[in-house]
Amino acid sequence: MSQRIHVQTEINGEAQDFLCDPRESLLDVLRNTMGLTGAKEGCRNGNCGACNVIMDGILVNSCLVLAVEAEGSSITTVEGINTPVGLHLIQQKYMDHAALQCGICTLGLIVATKALLDHNPAPTEHDVRLWLAGNLCRCTGYDKIVRAVLDAAEAMRENV
Amino acid sequence: MPKEKTVVVGQSLKRIDARGKVTGETPYPGDIDMPGQAWMKLRFSDRAHARIVAIDISVAEALPGVVGILTSKDVPVNEYGLVMKDQPVLCGPGGDIPGTDVVRCYMDMIAVVVAETEAIAAQAVDLIDVTYEDLPAVFDAELALAENAPQLHPDTPDNVLCHYRIRKGDMEQGWSQADVVVEDVYETTWQEHAYLQPEAGLGYIDEEGRVTVVVAGQWTHEDQEQIYHALGLPQEQVRVIYPAIGGAFGGREDMSVQIVLALAAQASQRPVKTQWSREESILHHHKRHPIKVYAKWGATREGHIVAVEAKVVGDAGAYNYTSTKVLGNANMMASGPYEIDNIQVDTYGAYTNNIPCGAFRGFGAPQALFAAEGQVNKLAVALDMDPVEIRRRNVFKEGSLAPVGTPLPAGVSMPQVVDACARESYWQQAPDNSWQRSVDPEQPTSLTKRRGIGFAAGYKNVGYSFGFPEQSHARIELYGKAQIDEVVVKLAGADVGQGAHTVFSQMAAEAVGVPFEKVRLVASDTAHTGSSGSASASRLTFMTGNAVRGAAEQALERWAAEDRPAIGDFTYRPPKTTPYDPLTGRSEPNFAYGYTAQAVEVEVDIETGQVTLLNVVSANDVGRAINPQLVQGQIEGAVIQAAGYALMEYLVSDQGRIRNPYLSTYIIPTVYDVPPQVKSVILEYEDPIGPWGARGMAEMPFLPLTPAIAAAIYDATGVWINSQPFTPDKVVAKLREQNIGVI
Repeated sequence: MSQRIHVQTEINGEAQDFLCDPRESLLDVLRNTMGLTGAKEGCRNGNCGACNVIMDGILVNSCLVLAVEAEGSSITTVEGINTPVGLHLIQQKYMDHAALQCGICTLGLIVATKALLDHNPAPTEHDVRLWLAGNLCRCTGYDKIVRAVLDAAEAMRENV
Repeated sequence: MPKEKTVVVGQSLKRIDARGKVTGETPYPGDIDMPGQAWMKLRFSDRAHARIVAIDISVAEALPGVVGILTSKDVPVNEYGLVMKDQPVLCGPGGDIPGTDVVRCYMDMIAVVVAETEAIAAQAVDLIDVTYEDLPAVFDAELALAENAPQLHPDTPDNVLCHYRIRKGDMEQGWSQADVVVEDVYETTWQEHAYLQPEAGLGYIDEEGRVTVVVAGQWTHEDQEQIYHALGLPQEQVRVIYPAIGGAFGGREDMSVQIVLALAAQASQRPVKTQWSREESILHHHKRHPIKVYAKWGATREGHIVAVEAKVVGDAGAYNYTSTKVLGNANMMASGPYEIDNIQVDTYGAYTNNIPCGAFRGFGAPQALFAAEGQVNKLAVALDMDPVEIRRRNVFKEGSLAPVGTPLPAGVSMPQVVDACARESYWQQAPDNSWQRSVDPEQPTSLTKRRGIGFAAGYKNVGYSFGFPEQSHARIELYGKAQIDEVVVKLAGADVGQGAHTVFSQMAAEAVGVPFEKVRLVASDTAHTGSSGSASASRLTFMTGNAVRGAAEQALERWAAEDRPAIGDFTYRPPKTTPYDPLTGRSEPNFAYGYTAQAVEVEVDIETGQVTLLNVVSANDVGRAINPQLVQGQIEGAVIQAAGYALMEYLVSDQGRIRNPYLSTYIIPTVYDVPPQVKSVILEYEDPIGPWGARGMAEMPFLPLTPAIAAAIYDATGVWINSQPFTPDKVVAKLREQNIGVI
């Protein structure tokens, strides 16, 4: 039937390659083949953002990206935001502000926050809300998330 | 009364599960795999109501990669249900229990397919050939209760799942005292839980031969009970483990994948995994009940409410789930948090061929209070009285009689909560102590936009009601020699995201008298913990908190007696409750309550009908905030879930078939839809029997929001919307009826 395709890519700073079916999503390959379960499956439809990863600097829903499209690209998952020496400031601020409850949306939100702050280090509250509107959260009511992101942005600017 | 002095309780400590949840290290059921695992997919009903004549699995079974297919004949005891066992595990012909050959809704399960891959399992599901003989169906609760309606369950005549009555005082006398009477009909529709983690799990046989299910639920030991009942096994042969749980809100209180995973693992003697898609999740777990309330309320000129008559009709769907309990709650809430002398309420739960309904944050109170609070706000308008002032003249106070004819348990704070909400929002007290609105909304310059303010109150029980057995277990083990080095807490209270595990750990540290860091929690595995009861009814902080406190006291006694380790095993039992009297409703319904009030400001676009929530002030008596930051998280989360319920969430069901089972078509609030801030007013009027005074609190902030928004829309436009959700199409149609927004 389908032929397995060999894909060469970079994940969290390291060269990686994998075999996948032509119709497999990047999300499935990350979770099932690469063992990176930080990207969560919330809808498989691009509606919830729980599977967010950064691909060549762009925030994507990995459920909507075919794994074969990862050929030659550079991908950052939440596991790559977490540094070996400790938590990223974004992660720390989500903890400080209790900006998480069940935690399923949190990882996608952290990746989305990273993409936002890479792109705009000094976002306004409106910028934050607009950027994160693709990430559903059913637990928190969002306010603590907005505070965490604004606080992380400020802390990261001071750290530079 | 001064608060009990505490060191760890009352601190906004960081969640014990936060680190794993921000790094991705924490496993959820969908993240757990075992070597050699097979995959499970389910065949669901294709009919709303039909008898299954035959199931042909021969083609599906022959598909390469299929491990096995289970149907009704493979279920040892083919029935389940949390309150009553009225649902077949798998519907199909042949079986000892009558009625198991009938599907009664689209979420009924027919076959379990186990295959080497998920794709093969899915393919095999479609190859199963089911022959149906259609039966007449009914999709409306009132029609289901009418004469000659199609009957769903042989032993439930006229589809009357339950009928509760409240008869208090003398209605004739009540109406004769009333100077004004308002009468209206309120309708609510389904709500989907939309937790971000769809159902998933892993079944396997553990090292001791137990049928084990790793799953996300709300009560490990109840899942265990339902699994061993259906599998015909002794209790100790079944084990249930909860890893991290991706939200619940009541939606995981009933079975989804639990029993079928256990069956699949037992039959195949292999680990079996399953992961529902979002579509499967929305189509196949229960919902919040649609409830219709016919309400007639009367008050004197002075604003004293003297008579309430209500008929409450709830659509239970095809099976009970927790409907008899939800509607019991709605029955009592139909007259709101007010002491009223003359009350007559009749509440019916009807079986229909719609999706079953069950637990969802608030458990019948949001629907009943939408009507009750709407009636109070309309009485205020009819009497030209301030909505806060009319509440102050009627709300429960210490010693008040509940509608069921017995006094409320001590610790009633409804007056203080209403006052605090009013003061912190748009009201002030005049020199004569009456409440008056002191702030009017700043009207936008746009001619098509109008702003308004609304107020509503509510209350809800903490813990199980009406005689349902209520208890909670915790075990504490103290390790060390001269000093306590480690405190191990073993319990099964589920952390569904609310932070219960952190709160239990704080309470254990406080009770033992050690720093928080010395506490280690072992939770939610029936092989290692006793039953703490469910994560529902806003009960864990209260119930399991009392169990932790009791276990700590015992363990400290043993420690003093030189036991090493020193162990405390404690089951907390609250004061007993009693069921409704069938004729009068008289009962001792609950042992504790939480009280809440909210004020909101909205903007209505009279051209489009769009309602925007601008501000929410939520006052909540939580008794004692064990962790204030987490309490605030519950208030904010509940308010925004309620904002979705009030303004946008609309599940479309067509002849029992849900038509929008996606997050692209069932719309829940995003960060862009919510008000800039929710002001949480946390009040601490201690519950006399709560641990450190704590009450349950996580459901309560859901309750008043919908009626408060309805009142604000009226304040802005002069139009009442009596059916939730207040979507633009509905609002604009109501405005046009009144010639508002017509150019």
